[in-house]
Amino acid sequence: MTSLQLNPSSGTPLYIQLVAHLRHSIETGAIRAGEQLPSVRKLAEDLLINPNTVVRAYRELESEGILVLKHGSGVFVRDSVVARTELMKKAEPVLRSAVGRLEALGLDEDEIRRLMENELAVRRSAKQTRKKHA
Amino acid sequence: MREICDRVSSVTDIVAVTNLSRTFGAKRALNDVSLTVTRGTVLGLVGENGAGKSTLIKHLLGLWRAETGTVRVFGLDPVAAPVAVLARVGYLSEQPDLPGWMRVEELLRYTQAFYPGWDPKYAEQLRDQFDLDPRARIKTLSKGQRAKLGLIAAQAHRPDLLLLDEPSSGLDPIVRRDILEAIVRTVSQEGRTVIFSSHLLDEVERVSDHLAMLRAGSLRLLGPLDDIKMCHRRVLLQFDLPQPEPPSLRGAIRVSGEGRSWTIICNEENLPEIARAPGARVVDDGAASLDEIFVAHTGASVATRLRPVA
Repeated sequence: MTSLQLNPSSGTPLYIQLVAHLRHSIETGAIRAGEQLPSVRKLAEDLLINPNTVVRAYRELESEGILVLKHGSGVFVRDSVVARTELMKKAEPVLRSAVGRLEALGLDEDEIRRLMENELAVRRSAKQTRKKHA
Repeated sequence: MREICDRVSSVTDIVAVTNLSRTFGAKRALNDVSLTVTRGTVLGLVGENGAGKSTLIKHLLGLWRAETGTVRVFGLDPVAAPVAVLARVGYLSEQPDLPGWMRVEELLRYTQAFYPGWDPKYAEQLRDQFDLDPRARIKTLSKGQRAKLGLIAAQAHRPDLLLLDEPSSGLDPIVRRDILEAIVRTVSQEGRTVIFSSHLLDEVERVSDHLAMLRAGSLRLLGPLDDIKMCHRRVLLQFDLPQPEPPSLRGAIRVSGEGRSWTIICNEENLPEIARAPGARVVDDGAASLDEIFVAHTGASVATRLRPVA
């Protein structure tokens, strides 16, 4: 964790930088599934940042299903995360080829992003509609 | 019911300042300042020289009586109940006022007498960690060593409120690191609170939950640090024609640049209107750094960035 360079003066809030760093470490296997992460207090003292920043980062990753906070024992990477890492590795080339084809059609970055967000929003609302009627 | 609510709120509000004003002769040092600091949080206090940061902190220490408005620390008036308040407060300022003839161990014993909560083992652990010779006379210590001694005196009684008034000025990165560590340790231990005033915005950004920005005695900004950062944007506008004067744009907090290129700092809500400025297009837009926010609101370039400590 000491290799982490946080940049307080960038526009990105510190907790988001920490989330990105932890997520990357977990996805690449640098931190393994089932492994225990430092306590909030230890990480805050090591990085010299406000403990609430660490709490936010841990909570964010918990809500994403990457970490599990076990009361009294500590913060752990979910065992199921290994499957996600492999999955992410498979997903990358799929996305790369799709984006490549959209670029070849002449779309720019903003257009691709808008298309993506629109598609996800449509799917999300379809899911919610299904839930409501279930 | 209201009394219970007031008592409960004063338990979680370690500091409550309401409509505080203070004049020194002709100068308005503090102008209708109101803020609260919740237990277990760090308030970063920033502002240019003379903005009123030290004056505010001195009111919390009971060194100044409120001219108008009220000051409460742990729900008490620090002027009316100085012993009760100061027993639970740790204070460190730039160039702590320590008697040169005293030895390090003498100062620590002397300070201990004032604080029922003093932990001699903790004081000794810090003295050892900071590598201060107990027999050294204070006048032989360097500026950094004096700051470290001041830090022990401010912390060894495990105060509920740590008040740091520009403690890092002119100190090397290692001592500044020790100060940041003290801040983080204080809040990560349950129930303890910090107010940290500094020119060094990097450090304020690292450790603060909330930010208060003073300008000429008035509060310009007050709120959670992340919210303040996220609601300020920097926009780079490219005009078709060179502008002889800074363009007048509604909602802009600060406009700087020359010719055709102008950088605007604004609130997020004003961004769409600024982006539609006639005769200009947006070349870049992003989150404003705390530096830029500071300069935009105070008009002063006193914000300092030094080499990072971590």
